[in-house]
Amino acid sequence: MNRVNRVAWRDTVPSLLVLAALLALWWLASHGQWVSRVFLPTPEATLASLREGLAGGELLQQTGQTVLRMLQGWLLACVAGVALGALIGISPAARGWLQPMLEFVRPLPASAVMPLAISIFGLGPNMVLFVVAFGAMWPVLLATLHGFAHVEPRLREVAAALQLPALDFVRKVGLPSALPDVLAGMRLSLTVSLIVAVVGEMIASQPGLGQAVLLAARSFRASELFAGIVLLGLVGFAANALLAAAERRLLRWQRP
Amino acid sequence: MPPRLTVILKGLAVPLLLLAALEGYARGPGRDSDALAPPSKALLALGQAAADGSLWGATAFTLGSAAAGLAIGFALALLLGTWLGLSARAGRWSFLTVELLRPVPSVALIPLAMLVFGFGARMEFSVVAFAVFWPLLVLVQAAARQVDPRLLEVAAALQLGPAARFAKIVLPAMLPRLFVALRLAVAIALVVAVTVEIAANPHGMGYAIMLAQQSLDPALMLAWLFWIALVGFAVNALALWLQQRAARRMGAAG
Amino acid sequence: MTVAPGGGEPILRFDGVAIHLGGREILSPTTVDVRRGEFVCIIGPSGCGKTTLLRAAAGFVAPSAGRVLRNGQAVHGPSREAAFVFQDYGRALLPWRSVAGNVGLALEAAGVPAAERAPRIAQVLQTVGLAAHAGKFPLQLSGGMQQRAQIARCLAQQPALLMMDEPFGALDAMTRESLQDEVSRLVRERGLTVLFVTHDLEEAIYLGDRVIALRANPTAAKPSVAAIVDIGIPGPRSQLETKEHPEYLRLRRELYQYLSH
Repeated sequence: MNRVNRVAWRDTVPSLLVLAALLALWWLASHGQWVSRVFLPTPEATLASLREGLAGGELLQQTGQTVLRMLQGWLLACVAGVALGALIGISPAARGWLQPMLEFVRPLPASAVMPLAISIFGLGPNMVLFVVAFGAMWPVLLATLHGFAHVEPRLREVAAALQLPALDFVRKVGLPSALPDVLAGMRLSLTVSLIVAVVGEMIASQPGLGQAVLLAARSFRASELFAGIVLLGLVGFAANALLAAAERRLLRWQRP
Repeated sequence: MPPRLTVILKGLAVPLLLLAALEGYARGPGRDSDALAPPSKALLALGQAAADGSLWGATAFTLGSAAAGLAIGFALALLLGTWLGLSARAGRWSFLTVELLRPVPSVALIPLAMLVFGFGARMEFSVVAFAVFWPLLVLVQAAARQVDPRLLEVAAALQLGPAARFAKIVLPAMLPRLFVALRLAVAIALVVAVTVEIAANPHGMGYAIMLAQQSLDPALMLAWLFWIALVGFAVNALALWLQQRAARRMGAAG
Repeated sequence: MTVAPGGGEPILRFDGVAIHLGGREILSPTTVDVRRGEFVCIIGPSGCGKTTLLRAAAGFVAPSAGRVLRNGQAVHGPSREAAFVFQDYGRALLPWRSVAGNVGLALEAAGVPAAERAPRIAQVLQTVGLAAHAGKFPLQLSGGMQQRAQIARCLAQQPALLMMDEPFGALDAMTRESLQDEVSRLVRERGLTVLFVTHDLEEAIYLGDRVIALRANPTAAKPSVAAIVDIGIPGPRSQLETKEHPEYLRLRRELYQYLSH
């Protein structure tokens, strides 16, 4: 979805002021004890926890674990999702048999599969990886399916007129045509990957930011909790920004 | 055979085949599995849960929390988003802050919500509200931005106060797009509600399925898995129908 | 016309071709020959099936009755030998490839090795006057340039037959005229046979060696083919002089009746 066009330079200062105002509000609220210190740590305490955690290594390691889990599951999901989505999307026959079933499964929360995964894999890293990959596969699969099913019919005729072999058609026409959809699906999948990775860590007590924030909450360590939330927000932000940048680059031809 | 019927039957063929295969496997080689159960037994378990009321109780909790969170998130997003959409400057200046706060995954707030509210409905719908707020904010903002400036001029000419302007001119103009946003938010709300239950909250459908797994009752677990999928499908279909109906009556959205 | 149409086997033959679409008979059984090197224009009111006839010639549509023969062989599907220029050029170009890339697709499909492709692409782009825009993407080009790019891709196929479906319909008058002359020249140079569908009578007479006029809603008494007229205008064509030639004007009057109803 198109976000507002990049903010112009003259808006930079006011934008930063808005952010600063929000931080100031946080500072006031925490120092003024508008909300109990147990729930709302001060910004400085949060920053201190962040610094300690990152320098001392534990938070850094945990962030790495979560990111690794997220990426592994996401990559698996993308490979499987694009392959299956392309195969099904290209064939109207396959779509007829499979699409209704896929549409039924689409709204299922990925986490709902976790109990099944626990019965199969037990409470371990494999269980989390399985659910991450499984959950992240659907957005990519469905988006790829849609992309391949909606290749411009005129281009199909052009490919037929040129007697383009089937595999070449997929590579040279189908895939580039579906790319905008595929990339959008991959971006959604990445969001799902992060969420499911975090939930998986919480449930299966796997090392990572999910477990970190859960433990911090249980021990009433609010500043560590907030530090973890900040880091998770940063991971989400960075992942999305990188993917969006890649998307812009790959789809340059859309905006001459 | 009418074409509509063939489409439906074709769509059911593969899933039924898979279920039959599962039935065969779960009754035979997979007899002692903790993970799989014959679909027939799962169906029985589902019927039993329906009969003793546990099905309806859990479903009501999840749907209720999702709805409450959706209502709160939507109301806040509507107010803030409309303002940010109508005022170009406010929109531009808030962009940075919104972009920094938006990517925080709602699940990250589950422990915080637990800390503040303990377990129960409040904890759940507060996380749901956070989760739906951000995408709704973006969509409402876009919808407000796209209100025909001519209509705003009319409001100014009639010297309407801000509340009247919102209620009589802006909101009706945004309505088709709001229904589209609502449909998306409904999907998110349900998913987040179930996720919160699976992760922490001992209530609702998510907890029921976790409990079934922990009690080593694969039939009940699969029953809940199917039921959750069904509820999700039904809710999404309802939201889609609502959106299409609104579009037909009010003129299509962008 | 400098090259006289060749004799011998017609390059394209419609043998009792009839086409039914959506329960209606679009084209009644039609038998027409197209000779090698001929420029045949097909005109008629909307719904007369001129585009359908063209698509049947290209192999996109199978006739409901009769057969289409290319070089004596029955046509079963599209082929590289019969290049097709679509009216909606925007949709017929790959938006993610440059002009050179689009032209290159034809060569890739034909299995031309990479080393050979670049010079051939350059040559064909030179022919249509797009050499300076080889690296541009379709969305960066004007309508006329996009259509030229499509034509370039078709020429790169080195076809024997060129089918054009109202290729200049979406362009402004000046671009249309210059493209008409360009296509005329290109086709003559290569000795291509052309089947050209248009709703523009003047264009048909200007470009064609023969004009086939079709009727809409054919009946037994009034079949699809209303008339087939040879264009006997002498000498090379020019936008100004040809259109004042008495033969041109006579033909225009004669064929005008087939456009209404």
